[in-house]
Amino acid sequence: MLPGMNEPTFLILTALAGEPMHGYAVIEDVEHMTDGRVRLRAGTLYAALDRLRGEGLIEVDREEVVQSRLRRYYRLTGAGEQSLEAETARLRAQATLAEGRLRARRTNFGGATA
Amino acid sequence: MTENRYRRLLALYPRDFRQEYGDEMLGVLMADPRPGPAQAFDIVRGAIAAHLRLMVSGQSRVARIVQIFGAMLLFSIALGRVAVEVRARVKYPEFVSSVETVSWARLAGWGVAMVAAYLGWRLVGAAGATVGLAGEIAAPAQFYLDTPATVLHAYWMIVAAAIVLIAGLVAVRGGREEPRGIFWVAAAGALLVAEATLFDRLFSPVGNGLVMAAAGLAGVAVFRQEPEIRARLLCWVAPVLVTVPLVQWGFGGFVEHNMRHPESLQLINPVQWAVLVLVPLAAFAGVSMLSCRDLPGLSARR
Repeated sequence: MLPGMNEPTFLILTALAGEPMHGYAVIEDVEHMTDGRVRLRAGTLYAALDRLRGEGLIEVDREEVVQSRLRRYYRLTGAGEQSLEAETARLRAQATLAEGRLRARRTNFGGATA
Repeated sequence: MTENRYRRLLALYPRDFRQEYGDEMLGVLMADPRPGPAQAFDIVRGAIAAHLRLMVSGQSRVARIVQIFGAMLLFSIALGRVAVEVRARVKYPEFVSSVETVSWARLAGWGVAMVAAYLGWRLVGAAGATVGLAGEIAAPAQFYLDTPATVLHAYWMIVAAAIVLIAGLVAVRGGREEPRGIFWVAAAGALLVAEATLFDRLFSPVGNGLVMAAAGLAGVAVFRQEPEIRARLLCWVAPVLVTVPLVQWGFGGFVEHNMRHPESLQLINPVQWAVLVLVPLAAFAGVSMLSCRDLPGLSARR
């Protein structure tokens, strides 16, 4: 698991968990997954892709040339899948904890909110 | 924003990064319907991050070598200085009372830092190096108000001590592998101790010769490293080396003024302190970039 995986990294790995994608497709998929809340920019995206490749969490799936420009597709590696699973479990545990506390709060205060 | 403008912004990235992703990024930027200052800012920020990442990548393994070699040499110098004080105490008991506490502290600090570095004990190493660094600062600082140049002349030692402390903090965790060339550094350390113990530097040219020989042996230890490690080692040594010309030429007038006018001593002003801190940092950054450029194999990922 990556210590302190940030949200863009989590979302990029989640996007690539579906299928191999090129850079712009990752931007669009992340935007779609977050209902437009997160829209990555090229500088942020490629900094993350380079780091994730360096950590062995993603790798190049294939390359093609579109309108005389290189288009590279990235895919999740086995290590990337494990890392995403671990981060998902961590987030789920935190969400469950938060849910439990909110439920207890509602019970204690009879549904009143401060 | 036009393609040419994006190309100019992408030129800010390190060469290797640009070769790897430049074309792809250009495609994404041209497809993105959000041109403007925020996009440009994101590219500039990404370029700075890529440079910083390139600068620190691969440093943790090198940092351990810096930590071990640096702590060994600083321990030898500290031992030599204690030996000088002991010798002075024996020779002139009426003038010299005892070895100064700060000298013992420095010796103990660097001793602990050296052993901990070798065994891969990060926290103990950091504690030892902190004591050593405090000693290196305290020793000249006690004379600062009377002779400000004392701090300048000891500044290379302070920078070296800070480098060893930083190297210990970023060194690879739990490293136990013995670095190449350690015996050359041990020999250099032995010469430094011998120089301080056996010869009076003021009156014996042999002592200066031994210091030069020790520098040569340390150089051999650096030369025996793999090329990429060697290049990275230079990044760590550069801040120490740059302090010599900095003090010599940058502060020559300051030192001379204080020598000629003891009645109106100048202290180091805030701008001069800033220069003393920033120039070694700039040396590290500059040599990092140059060494990465010379050795493409050292890029962030590969």
